Amino acid sequence: MKVAVLVKTALDTGQLRVRDTVATEETPLKISDIDRNAIEEAVKLKGQDKAYAVTVLKWGPLQKKAQEAENVLREALAMGLDEAYLVADERLLNASHVVTAKALAAVVKKVGADIVLAGEATVDNYTGQIPARVAAELGWPVVTYVRELRVEGGRLIARRDLEDHVEVVEVQLPAVVSVTREINQPRIPTLLAIRAAMKKPVNRLTLADLGVEVAPRIAAAYKPLVIQRKKVVIKDGTPEEKAEKLIQYLRQEGVI
Amino acid sequence: MKALVVYPNRELLYAASTLGGEVAALVFSEREAEAVKGVAHRALVAEVDPRLPDAVAEAVVKAAQSYQVVLLPSTKNGKTVGGLVAQRLGAEFLTDVLTLRVEGGVLKAERYVFGNKAVAAVEAAPPVVVTVAPGRFQGQPPAVQTTVEKVALQAGSKMKIVSVEEKARGAVKLEEAEIIVSVGRGFKKKEDLQMAFELARVLGGQVGCSRPIAADLKWLPEEHWVGLSGKKVKPKLYLAIGISGQPQHIAGILDSRIIAAINNDPSAPIFQNADYGVVEDLYKIVPILINKLSKTKG
Repeated sequence: MKVAVLVKTALDTGQLRVRDTVATEETPLKISDIDRNAIEEAVKLKGQDKAYAVTVLKWGPLQKKAQEAENVLREALAMGLDEAYLVADERLLNASHVVTAKALAAVVKKVGADIVLAGEATVDNYTGQIPARVAAELGWPVVTYVRELRVEGGRLIARRDLEDHVEVVEVQLPAVVSVTREINQPRIPTLLAIRAAMKKPVNRLTLADLGVEVAPRIAAAYKPLVIQRKKVVIKDGTPEEKAEKLIQYLRQEGVI
Repeated sequence: MKALVVYPNRELLYAASTLGGEVAALVFSEREAEAVKGVAHRALVAEVDPRLPDAVAEAVVKAAQSYQVVLLPSTKNGKTVGGLVAQRLGAEFLTDVLTLRVEGGVLKAERYVFGNKAVAAVEAAPPVVVTVAPGRFQGQPPAVQTTVEKVALQAGSKMKIVSVEEKARGAVKLEEAEIIVSVGRGFKKKEDLQMAFELARVLGGQVGCSRPIAADLKWLPEEHWVGLSGKKVKPKLYLAIGISGQPQHIAGILDSRIIAAINNDPSAPIFQNADYGVVEDLYKIVPILINKLSKTKG
């Protein structure tokens, strides 16, 4: 079974610097956490066939980030994917999600996948809209928030993790699936796998290569989150004294 | 701006009314149509299974033609429907918005991004699809005359629901709790959680937990799980014990009035997100807290 995994080369928000402004340009990229689970599931599913990593570069500056994204994709390859596609195009930075989904769908068509896997949402923007958009673009069914997955004779049976219940659903392949962290434990690649990944192909594409038209940009401005905590840290004294101090503070706040 | 509300509830209808145009509610039965009478200008009845995102999306796309904004709740199915609809309409999709307004024919909204380290101000021209973060739009939709119409549909769903399993549910309602004592990986074994339950009892609160406790170790049922994939809470006091403070966890406690944390690691990120932090071994300090608080309360 040919599998395409949507791997977001996301901003490493753990390293994001937030002071007076939000410095996205200086923030390194990494694989969006939940996409690792999608990669793991793809490696399990692919059997004799191939599994592809597909990403659209959304963060600039393009020249610097394209190289970084390529390195991030090497990690996905080291986890067991066979080939990577990186769509890097100036016009995609802050472009509409409509275009992002079109570009991803175009690569999926190009590799001829039977199933598309993705994380339920990405760690930077956390909108979780891309899997459904790509499905709509391809005209395939979408199964979101999957924590367990089985393929049987062209059918996909999945357990969807919803707010109050778990739903077992069935669709015909091809299909787009978004997974939760609970679906598996992503592997940590061995040194040998990391070396092997250096030789696997990373294909760079532009929107022109894919024949995708660009729609107007979405405007987004970022500012630091203003909820400031008091950050009073009690570290001196005996446990007894510390407990007393904490109780005092919480009383002053009127919360206990 | 004319708004179509899908999976309508009072908060969504109120948010839609603030956009200043006609408000329509897309519902899935006559009974639901009855429920929006008086609070939406139109009730559009689509007889589809609301659990099937693609069937709902089909109905929304059909009904959305005369509306500039589609509003959905920030639920998992709400977001799935939103993604499908947005792509079909060639629209932007703004998820989990905290604020919403119309200015110069453009929809402007704010949402948390980057592991809740920043707020993004986003704007998009109609058509726009939006999901609204729960609890942010408090108000009553104005009273209006409602007409009821049917949305004619042919297409079915590509997804078949084989079975539904209810998640284990106890008496825990973390979303409504005033005080939450929350536990994380700092607890060495399941039995030790009793300490937290005891402290919560003394404080008159509920017990919450971080992801590993519910998802990996399964020491507590998922209804206790606080975070992005779990519950989003807004107590007056959130006391995090032995929780390191991953961004996904912080995302769930953002609206707490006071956050206090106990952790023996002074560099734990939770301290950056807490009002009061205590660097101490939880096994030493929690029994003392129970003791002191039960004395004064009793």
